Amino acid sequence: MRVTVTGAAGQIAYCLLPLLARGDVFGYEQPIELVLLDIEQAQTSLQGVAMELEDGAYPLLTAIHCTSDVNKAFVEADVAILLGAFPRKLGMERRDLLVKNAAIFKEQGEAIRKHAKEHIRILVVGNPANTNAAVLAQYASNIDKKQITALSRLDQNRATSFVAKKLKISPEEVKNVFVWGNHSNTQYPDLFNGVTNRGPLPDWLRDEKFLRDEFIPVIQERGAAVIKARKLSSAMSAANAVKDHLRDWFLGTQDIVNMVVCSDGSYGIKKGIFFSFPCYCPGNGTFEIVPHFPWSSFGEPWIERTKKELYEEWEQAFTALFPKSSL
Amino acid sequence: MSEAPLFSDRPINVCVTGAAGQIAYSLLPLIAGGKVFGPQQLVSLRLLEIESALPVLQGVVMELEDCAFPLLHSIFTTSDAKEAFRSCDVAVLLGAFPRKQGMERKDLLEKNAGIFKEQGEALNSEADANVRVIVVGNPANTNAYILKHFAPKIPEHNITALTRLDQNRAVSLVARKLGVPLSKVSDVYIWGNHSSTQYPDIFHGSVEGKGKLSDLLDKRYLEETFIPTIQKRGAAVIAARKMSSAMSAANAVADHLHDWLLGSDRIVSMSVPSDGSYGIERGTIFSFPVRVSRGGRYEIVKGLELDEFSKRYIKVTADELYSEKAEALALLS
Repeated sequence: MRVTVTGAAGQIAYCLLPLLARGDVFGYEQPIELVLLDIEQAQTSLQGVAMELEDGAYPLLTAIHCTSDVNKAFVEADVAILLGAFPRKLGMERRDLLVKNAAIFKEQGEAIRKHAKEHIRILVVGNPANTNAAVLAQYASNIDKKQITALSRLDQNRATSFVAKKLKISPEEVKNVFVWGNHSNTQYPDLFNGVTNRGPLPDWLRDEKFLRDEFIPVIQERGAAVIKARKLSSAMSAANAVKDHLRDWFLGTQDIVNMVVCSDGSYGIKKGIFFSFPCYCPGNGTFEIVPHFPWSSFGEPWIERTKKELYEEWEQAFTALFPKSSL
Repeated sequence: MSEAPLFSDRPINVCVTGAAGQIAYSLLPLIAGGKVFGPQQLVSLRLLEIESALPVLQGVVMELEDCAFPLLHSIFTTSDAKEAFRSCDVAVLLGAFPRKQGMERKDLLEKNAGIFKEQGEALNSEADANVRVIVVGNPANTNAYILKHFAPKIPEHNITALTRLDQNRAVSLVARKLGVPLSKVSDVYIWGNHSSTQYPDIFHGSVEGKGKLSDLLDKRYLEETFIPTIQKRGAAVIAARKMSSAMSAANAVADHLHDWLLGSDRIVSMSVPSDGSYGIERGTIFSFPVRVSRGGRYEIVKGLELDEFSKRYIKVTADELYSEKAEALALLS
C-alpha cells in the first residue's frame, strides 16, 4: 500500500510516521511504502526523518521516498494524508489563510486527479481542514467525494476523554459523544446522545449551564490550551487521532465515530459542504453518515454558528479560486 | 508471546524522567497506548521533570488525555525524584544533563554523575524491590553504572542501558545493503558503550535463505563503511534534523522494554552489568547479546566466538568504559 504524507518534515508527521510504520494504522499484516512530501527548504530535515524511519527497523515498511515535487508525490498513491498547509503567521487574517490554502489544495487536488490511484482515500488534516477538503474535492474531480475526509476525531477524542475523566471511567466506556461542524473554535461538542457502558450520562453532566460554561469552551479551546502549555501545537494527540480515523475507516469499527465528510444534505447541511458528522465505518475505506441523532433545542444555535462559518469559508475560498463566477 | 497482562490485578507503575523532553514525547504514547507492556496491561505513569519544565509537562499530560487511551489508568507529575520513583515497577531514565556548547567531556560526566547519584539514591529508597531500570540519558552506560553504585538494594542485573537503537540501526543497514526484508536478518549484536566506540558485530548473523552475514559482507566493507556508519549514525541524524534522534530512540526504548518484560524468541542487545563474560570487568555496564524471557529476565549469551577483528573493537570500547567509570567515581568521591 502506497501512502503519501504531505508536511512530512513537520511535527504531526514526526508522531504519525512511526505509527504508520509499526502497523498501528492499516494493520499488522499490511506492508506499506511511504512517500514523503515537503517543501524544498525542508528536504534535509526530511532526510533525517527518513533515516530515523530506517533506524526503526520496521518489518512492514518496505520503502521510503522523499520529494518536494507534488506531482511525483501522488503517483499511484493508495492513501493520502495531507498534514501540510500554509501556517497562520502573525497579523494574518483568517481570509488570507483560506486563500493561501485554497491554492495549495487546488494544486494537490489536480495532482491527485492526474496521478493517484482511482480508489485513493484521502484525509485532510492541515487547517482550515474542512474547507481545504472541499477545495481538494473540487479539483480531484475524478474521484467520489466519499473518498475524501478531514479530521475531527481529535475533537471527539478530547470530548470523550473529558467525560471519562469527569466520571472516573475508561474512555472506551464512553460512547456517542459527538463533535459537529467545523474543526475550529465554532465546533459543537455535543453530549446529548452520549452514553456509558453503565447507562446514560448523569444529569449534572448534561446540565445546560455546565455545558455552556465548562464543557463546550474547554473542548473548543483545547488546542489553544495545549499551545499555551507546550509552546507548540498538539502533535502527539493529533497524530493519534489521525491513526484512529484511518484505522477505523479502513479496518472498520463498532463505534460511531466523528469524521468530517461531504454533506449529502443530512441534518440540513448544504450538499458539498465538508462537515463533522457521526459516521458508521464498516471497513474498507467506506462510511455512512448516521442520520438520526437529534441536537436538542440547546444545540441548534451552536450548529447554526458553525454551519454559518463553514458556508462563509467556502464562499471566500470559491471566490478566490473562481473570481468571475458566482456560487 | 502470551497476551496476559504482567499484573492482572493492578496497573504497572512506570516512571519516566525527562518527561517533557523529545524522546518522551515519542515514547509516552507508545507506553500509554499498550505497545510496550502488552495489550491488556493497564499503565500508571509517574512523570518526572525539573521544576522549570513542569508547565510544558502539563501540556504533554493534556495531550495524553486527549488520546483517550483505554489502558492509561492515571498520570502523576512531579519534580521530586523520590515521589516519582515511589512503588514504581519500571523506571525509564530519559533525562540527563545535555551537552552544551564549549562543554568538556569531563564536565558532562560530572554533571550527570550528580544527577544519577541522586536518582540512584531515590530509587534505592522508594522503588519496588523488583524495579526494572533502563537508562537512556547519555552517557548512558556510565550513568547506569553510577546509578547502580548508589542503589545497592536493587539487584544489579535489573539495571540496564539502551543499545537497542544501535542494534536496530545495524539490522536495518544490513537489510538495505543486501536488499532483503528486515525480518529475514537475524543475530546482529552490539557490544560495548553506547558511543562512537560501540562495536556492531555481524559475525553471528545470517539472512534466512541466503546464509551467513560473514560470507555476505567482507571485512573491508565492515571496517570502512558498516561499522563507522553505525557508530556515527546519531551524529548523521543530528546533522540532517538539527535535533537528535527522538522517534527512533523512543522506538528502541519501547523494543528494549517490551522484549525484556514480555520475552522474545530473538537474541537482543542490551547494556547490562558484566558478569565477567568475554573478559569484560565485572560490574561494567556493557552491551551484550542477551536472551530475554517473560517477567523481566535476561541471560548474557555465553561462548560466542570472537576473532581478532572483533576483539580489537571490543577492547577499544571496553577501555573507554573503564576510563569513564574511573573518572565518574573519582568525581563523586
